[in-house]
Amino acid sequence: MLPAVPARVRQPPQARGPDRRPSALRDWLTRYAALIRSAWLVDLQYRAEIVIWMVLGVAQPLVTLAIWWVLAGSGELGGYDRADFARYFFALMLVDQLTLAWDVWYIDRWIREGEMNVRLTRPFNPIHEAIGDNVAYKLRTGTAIALVWLLVALFWPAVRVPVDAGRWALAGTAVVLAAGLRFLTSYVNGLLAFWTTRATALAELHYGVSLFLAGRIAPLALLPPAVAAVAGVLWFPYMVAFPVEVLTGEVSGAGLVRGFGGQLFWLSAWITLYRLVWSRGIRRYCAVGG
Amino acid sequence: MRAARAARHLGPAAPRGARRLERHLALLRAFWSANLAEELQYRGNLIANLLGVVFWMGTAVLTAALFFRQAPALGGWSFWEVVALLGVFNTVGGVVEAVVRPNVGRIEQYVRRGTLDLILAKPVDPQFHMSFRRVEAWRSADVLLGLGLTSFALVQLERAPSALELAAFALTLASAVTIVYAIWLTLLTFTFWWVSVDNLEVLFDAVYEAARFPVSVYPGPLRFVFVYLLPIAWITTVPAASLIGRTSPATALLAAGVATAALVLTRRLWWAGLRRYTSAGG
Repeated sequence: MLPAVPARVRQPPQARGPDRRPSALRDWLTRYAALIRSAWLVDLQYRAEIVIWMVLGVAQPLVTLAIWWVLAGSGELGGYDRADFARYFFALMLVDQLTLAWDVWYIDRWIREGEMNVRLTRPFNPIHEAIGDNVAYKLRTGTAIALVWLLVALFWPAVRVPVDAGRWALAGTAVVLAAGLRFLTSYVNGLLAFWTTRATALAELHYGVSLFLAGRIAPLALLPPAVAAVAGVLWFPYMVAFPVEVLTGEVSGAGLVRGFGGQLFWLSAWITLYRLVWSRGIRRYCAVGG
Repeated sequence: MRAARAARHLGPAAPRGARRLERHLALLRAFWSANLAEELQYRGNLIANLLGVVFWMGTAVLTAALFFRQAPALGGWSFWEVVALLGVFNTVGGVVEAVVRPNVGRIEQYVRRGTLDLILAKPVDPQFHMSFRRVEAWRSADVLLGLGLTSFALVQLERAPSALELAAFALTLASAVTIVYAIWLTLLTFTFWWVSVDNLEVLFDAVYEAARFPVSVYPGPLRFVFVYLLPIAWITTVPAASLIGRTSPATALLAAGVATAALVLTRRLWWAGLRRYTSAGG
């Protein structure tokens, strides 16, 4: 007797009928659904760890907020009063969780410990697995932070953002672009493991610089003008500060155009860089271990 | 007869007083010299670590400078006083990275893989063995550079601490290190209950973020938490304050008391956890 295998598993997709040829799009949707589902299930095993990582993720913004809160007192600093700071840093915690990319740590290990091998035998580029991981992770942590924020907003009006569908749609777009940008910086940085064993040290350096230039320690308006000018010509503000300010309603009009333009510019620049680094690196790669 | 032989065999495991201390010091020397020989193979790490420490200290000082652009004082502390505190922050952080994380941070592995068996079978106090087996020597650069930063801040403050203040600083710094160790051991002891969680030490990193600034900067309820519940005030604020003369030297005795209490409580928790250990695998 045959085991009770569901019919859809026994039939390969091509055999579903002459009029339903598999399209490339459907193929990719199936692949992504599988990648995200498996990443979600892996994360499920580590849910306690993920909560702990989130606690670490919000610690620095909370400490920073506490200090700005005290410094602002009853007045304002650089146009920010207490409520503005609270809104800024709560938005920052959400945006940070939604755009966070751990990829450099994984890619570095894939390359150094030979875990890249099995990924190269699959019929798609390993970057898709990393994207799937990120989507699953962010669904989880983003939901958690959003819920906490809602709960806090019930009792603390300062952190409420205005309900405005148009603004939220803009903020959503900015967050997706920022997530793409942060993912690519992290992924490309990880690929440097093809050449060096200190790829993750560079990632820490990048994070250290981003504390200032991405608006993590202070809104960009509070940086010394020279530092803010340096930030303006690099990709850092588009990773965190810009989506945060879209969400809090700090930017509008020409600022929005400039911001989205910058995001698109740096995203395409990093995609180009990724292609270059990947094609050069993979030729250097000598499989290690098994 | 067999019992007597066993007792003689176990004899050295339970000496009393001075002999016990002497024996543990000898063990420590053996542990660390073996470890140092291993570490010296990776001299490149020293350079990388030095650069890293300088970078992160610079980041911390610039962060403080950013706040001081907007206000002349932070919780009543001047810029250079906060920099002195950041030096202490770095020093204690260096001890964590050199000794605490490589040892206490490993409890999770020991418990999950059952390798704690190997430690329990040795004729040494298991807490001593698993707390001091390893040292990441090149991390001592953090300690030296941290103390250097504090000294530099003292020069900027044009302040020469008296002998009493220096003694108070030494005692509060030792207490700070003890308290940090106790917090780590407490956190990691929970592994005995939550075997599958493998990043408990990250909770320390999260709380330690708050130790970058004097506790007087935080709003009232938070300050209460940092002094009494999560005792991070004792880690950076108190040593820095005793060095720059912001507290009376008597505070050092209080700090030593807090450290002793933390150590005793943690050891009790550790033994309670150890009783739950049932080994694993083989």
